Amino acid sequence: MLLSKNINISIGFFLVGIVCFLFADFSVSTLEPFLELKKFTVAVFEIDFTQVSSLIPALLNTISIAVVAMFFAVIIGFVLALVFQNFFVRTTLAFTRAIHELFWALIFLQIFGLNTLTALLAIIIPYSAILAKVYSEILEEHDKYPKELKGESLVSFYLYTKIPDALPHLISYTLYRFECALRSTAILGFVGITTLGYYLSSSFMQGYYNEVWLLLIMFYIVIATIRIWFNKYSVSFIVIASFLYLDEFPSINFENFIRFVTSDIVPHPIRTDAGLDKTIAWFSNIFTNEILIGVANTIVLTQIALVLTAILALITFPFISIKFSNKFFRGLSHIFLVILRSTPEYILAYIFLQMFGPSMLPAALALMLHNGAIIAFLMGQQTNELELRLDVTKKKNELYLFEVLPRVYSQFLAFLFYRWEIIMRESAILGILGVATLGFFIDSAIADFRLDKMMLLLLVTAILNIAIDIISRKIRDYLKVEQSITSCGCSLK
Amino acid sequence: MAYNFVNESISYDSFLAIDSVTLNIQKGEKVALLGKSGSGKSTLLKRMYELQKHSSSYIPQELGLVNNLCVFHNVYISQLDNNSFFYNIRNLIKPVQSEINDISNVLKDLLLDDKLFIKSINLSGGQKQRVAIARALYAKKDILLADEPISALDEYLSKKTIDILTSSHETVICTLHNVDLAIEGFDRVIGLKNGKLLLDKRCEDLTKKDREELYYAVE
Repeated sequence: MLLSKNINISIGFFLVGIVCFLFADFSVSTLEPFLELKKFTVAVFEIDFTQVSSLIPALLNTISIAVVAMFFAVIIGFVLALVFQNFFVRTTLAFTRAIHELFWALIFLQIFGLNTLTALLAIIIPYSAILAKVYSEILEEHDKYPKELKGESLVSFYLYTKIPDALPHLISYTLYRFECALRSTAILGFVGITTLGYYLSSSFMQGYYNEVWLLLIMFYIVIATIRIWFNKYSVSFIVIASFLYLDEFPSINFENFIRFVTSDIVPHPIRTDAGLDKTIAWFSNIFTNEILIGVANTIVLTQIALVLTAILALITFPFISIKFSNKFFRGLSHIFLVILRSTPEYILAYIFLQMFGPSMLPAALALMLHNGAIIAFLMGQQTNELELRLDVTKKKNELYLFEVLPRVYSQFLAFLFYRWEIIMRESAILGILGVATLGFFIDSAIADFRLDKMMLLLLVTAILNIAIDIISRKIRDYLKVEQSITSCGCSLK
Repeated sequence: MAYNFVNESISYDSFLAIDSVTLNIQKGEKVALLGKSGSGKSTLLKRMYELQKHSSSYIPQELGLVNNLCVFHNVYISQLDNNSFFYNIRNLIKPVQSEINDISNVLKDLLLDDKLFIKSINLSGGQKQRVAIARALYAKKDILLADEPISALDEYLSKKTIDILTSSHETVICTLHNVDLAIEGFDRVIGLKNGKLLLDKRCEDLTKKDREELYYAVE
C-alpha cells in the first residue's frame, strides 16, 4: 500500500513538472553560450595564487558577519523557542522565516543603507526564526527524564534534564546553521555589502574568471574545514575577534525607520487618502500585472526544479555509495557533490546566467545542482547503512532497482518534500537575476522606490511559502514518510 | 501507617493492572514485592509513589538518568527542590566541594566513587543502575520505592545494595525477581499474580509450600 501511495504521488509531481515545463521559458539568449562556459572552465587552470592575500579581507568580512549574526540569532532563537507554542509567536515566525535573507537585506537597505548593520539584520531576523522553530522541535523531542521524578523547581529541572539531553543535537544543528549563515552572508555581497559575493560578482563582470575560481575555492576550504577551526576551544575567541573586525556602525537613523514603517510601506492610495476606488484599482493593477505572473512563474520554476532535483539525486546517489562504487570513484563523486552543496544556489544561478542569458534555465539548473547534491549525499549515507543479505544480486542495475531503491524511496521522498519549501523560497529570490518570479517584481519595485508595492509582494511571497510548507507537511503525513527517516531532517531545513 | 489499600483497582484503558487488592504497610517495614513481569508490581509501586510523593524517593525501572550529565549531577538532581535556583546553577557549572564530598560518600558504598565525573552515557548497565540508586539515597527520604533496582547487578553487589537500601530508609518497598534475595533481605514478601494478591506474609512465617508457590509465580 505504502509503495503505491509513494508511486502515485511521484507520478503526480512528475506530470505537474512536465506541464510546468511546457509553460516555462528555457531559451538560451547569449550568442555563444559555450564559448563563455569554455572560458570559465579553462580559467580554473589560470588561477593566480599570489592574489590570495588581496582576497582575504572579503573572506574575513564574510566570516565575521556570519559569526556575529549567528551569535545574536542563537540567543534570540533560543528565547523564542521557549515560547514557540504561543500562536502569535508561531505565526509571526512563520512569516519571518518565509522571507529570504536577501529580501530582508533589500528591506534594510532602504532603511539603514549599505552597511554592516543591514547585513547583520538580514541574517539575524530570518535565522532567529528558523532556529526558534528547530530548537523548539529538538527540545520537544528530547526529554526522557521520567515525569514523576520531576520536582517543583521547574527551571532547575529544565536545566538539569532537558538541556543536557538535547545539547548535542542543539549544537550540531547550530553548527549546520552556521555553515548556512556563511553561505547566506556570502550572497549578501550581490546586493552590495562587501562580502564574498560582492567580489565574486565584480570579478565576474570584468571577466576575471580565474579570480572567481580562486574566491570559490577559498570559500569551499573555509566551509569544508568549519569543524576544524570552529570548535569549543576557539569559539569565544572567534566571536570576540569577529565583533572587533566588523566595520564601525553608522549612526542609526531612526527617522528613516519610522518613515519606512509609517509612510513608505503604506499603499500609496491609502497614504494620499485617494479613496476606495483608487485603492482597489492600485491593488488590482498590481495583482493582475505582477502578483499573478510572479506567483505563476515562481510555482512553475519550483515544480520544474523539484523534478530535476529528484532526477539528479536518484542518478547520482549510487556514485557515493559503497554498494555501487569503488573507493576512488566514491571519493571523486564526494568532492563533486560537496562542491555543489557548498555553492549557494544564487552563485550557481549567477554563473549560469552569464553563460546562457536570462531565462528559467540558469535558475532551474542552479536549483537542481545544489538541492540534488544535498539529497544525493543524504541518500548515499542511507544506502550505506542498508544491510543486504549476502546472496544479493551482483548486477548493479538490478541491485539498484530491486534491492536499494525500494528500500530508500520513502526516505528520498521525505528529503525531497523537506526541501520543497526551500526550493520555493530560492525560486522567488532568483527573480532578482531576471526570471519573472516574485523576486523580479520585488526587485523592480525597489528600483522604482515603490516600497508599498514591495511590501505587498513580500507578503504574497511569504504566504505562498507558508502554503507550500503546509501542503508539504500534509503530503508527508499522508505518505507517513516521517517514520522512515532516522534523523529529524534538521539538515534539510 | 504508610500505605493502606482497600479493594484497590487500577486500570489502563481497558486493561486491569491491579485487581481489587487489599493491603496495608506500616511505617518501618521492609517489603519485597514479587511477581512476573506484567503482574502489576510496577503499577502498584507507582501508585504508592503518587500517594506520598514528598516523603518518598522512587527508582523507576528505566532509571531516568540524564545521559549527557556526569554521575555527580545525576545524583545531585534529587536535591534540586531543596536548594535555591542559583545554588543549582552554580553546581551545574562548577560543583561545590561539600556536595562533591557528600555525593562521593554515597557512591563509595556502591563502589562507584571513581566514576564521579564520568558522563552516565559511558557507564555500563549495572553502573547506571547504581547511579539511580545513589540518586534515591541522596534524596534522604523516609520511604524508598524501588522498581527492580538490582536487576543488572551481580550477586555480591545485589546483597550489598539491598543492605544499603534497607538500612538507610525507614520504610522500603522494593520489587524483585529473586525469591531468595527477597526472603534474605526483607521482613515481608508480597506476591502478585495477574494484578491479584497471591501471598502476603512475614518472611519468618513462610512455609515450604509458600516458597514453591512464589518460585512458580516469579518464573
